[in-house]
Amino acid sequence: MQAFQGQQLILNILKCFSDSLLSGASCLLVVSNIDLKTNAPITKPSTFLKSSFRGFVLNINNDYRYMKMGYYVSLHAEILGNDVIPTTENAVDVYRPPILLTRAAKNGTPTTPFIVTDSVKQIMAEFAFPVVVFAVNPFSFNGFQIAKNRTALYRAVKSLSMNYRYAVCAHPLRGELVSVKCFFGECASEDDGVRAVARKVYETFKVPVCKLYVQRFNGGAHLCGLQPLKMGELTPSDVDLLSKMVSRFSGKGWSD
Amino acid sequence: MTRIACFVEKYNFTYSYEAEALQTFKETAQKLGHEFHFMFRSGLSEIPKYEAVFIRATTDPLYTAYLVSKTAWELGLKVVDDPISIRICANKIHQYRLFEKHGVPCIPTIFLSKEEFHHRQIAEIFEVFGKPVVIKAPYTSFSRYVEKVSCETSFREVAKRFFRRSDYIVVQKFMPSSFDWRVGVLNGEVLYVCKYMMPKGKWKHGMKKRGKPSFMWGRTVTLKRDNAPQRLKETALKACSMIGKGLYGVDIKEVYGDYVVVEVNDNPSIYKGQEDLRDKDIYEKIIRFLAE
Repeated sequence: MQAFQGQQLILNILKCFSDSLLSGASCLLVVSNIDLKTNAPITKPSTFLKSSFRGFVLNINNDYRYMKMGYYVSLHAEILGNDVIPTTENAVDVYRPPILLTRAAKNGTPTTPFIVTDSVKQIMAEFAFPVVVFAVNPFSFNGFQIAKNRTALYRAVKSLSMNYRYAVCAHPLRGELVSVKCFFGECASEDDGVRAVARKVYETFKVPVCKLYVQRFNGGAHLCGLQPLKMGELTPSDVDLLSKMVSRFSGKGWSD
Repeated sequence: MTRIACFVEKYNFTYSYEAEALQTFKETAQKLGHEFHFMFRSGLSEIPKYEAVFIRATTDPLYTAYLVSKTAWELGLKVVDDPISIRICANKIHQYRLFEKHGVPCIPTIFLSKEEFHHRQIAEIFEVFGKPVVIKAPYTSFSRYVEKVSCETSFREVAKRFFRRSDYIVVQKFMPSSFDWRVGVLNGEVLYVCKYMMPKGKWKHGMKKRGKPSFMWGRTVTLKRDNAPQRLKETALKACSMIGKGLYGVDIKEVYGDYVVVEVNDNPSIYKGQEDLRDKDIYEKIIRFLAE
């Protein structure tokens, strides 16, 4: 079953690539701030931003947040008229929890219920404790807190909303909250449900590198949030795995 | 009958001229037979109940207004401002790159990345543009995060501040003028035209008072849209055509008889007695567009 799902994922990736070839883009360029071991044509973001490359751009970055280098790589590719993974639209949407959950649910991913608010009273009226609160502003890497009581919830909302300047996204914590590193929709989890969520999220947003937050309850896995990976969180084995995925994507092989 | 939600934040009701304009939107919608409700942050779950969403709170992909816009868009509702317009207008790098690509006349611009932020690059910028130059953060709005600098020390100080949130910033040639044209555009048609005057002795429409937290704004002089220069209107429409078919406010400078675009803003200010002074039908046109 697992092998079949892996093959399906590769087929999806290849289909995406062949679609881009059909749409006129003739070659692929990998733009990455990570030292990947691949034979595919690869360049650094700063070099790419000065180029006028025409073709398909695969943007591999640990962080695609709005106004960060990863975002500007995708923006530059789009302005040049190229197909790019991920698109700027997806790069913005994927880090905003309510949009992530709305779009993922539309595509059939199981998600946790949520509300967007800056009112602690509204959160308490909707959900019982414990509650997971995600920041809707994407300024911090680990922008979520678990609140088990009223005081902790007040503290979490005040801090994550940057003193009530932004809204927060609150979910009930109904089971175990797990985080998994995700590369092209593949993750190292033992849980079939978590792996299925990771694949669905990639299918919807095409964000090659991310960290997923998934809640396991009622025998299923439910998407809860997504955040960028810190550079320090990428282990050598992660970089190897990512390099393999990029090589498969480009069809150029992997270099040791 | 269309059910219209108007997304606002508390600050939209701070000044009477803005609150009155919002009230006029409501009355106009009701006169035309539509429902018009103000929606605040806590009412986001009610978006599916409406058929159109009109955003009046400040838009930026990092603000709640973008969540409202994108959610409404995903649900297939008519929405002003749409998420694409917000993404382009809220990021000046995105916008100027599009202007460059499509040949929209705009102020000479250089994009500066964090990696290129060094002495040689700054010296080169001063050499090309002369002194002073204007530094803009990509997320500028309401004249904030736009500063004029004349030496490397202040250049470094301002750029460093703007680099905190963005890996790229905009540097532009300083083009002084006593006013900026503001052309309101809706669905590819000019809605209103006015002049945003600079306060006396200042170089931009809104300036912080020295030593005080408050802002001072220049006067707004409104013209009838039919009386505004044709070339001005054409320039505004060309700039908006790069972005979309929504509601925009185009800032334009007149330089030796030529018109150069300063920027296109989504979610433009519409205040009672200012933008609506000469063309009273702007409320009706916007409501009709939402209800289409």
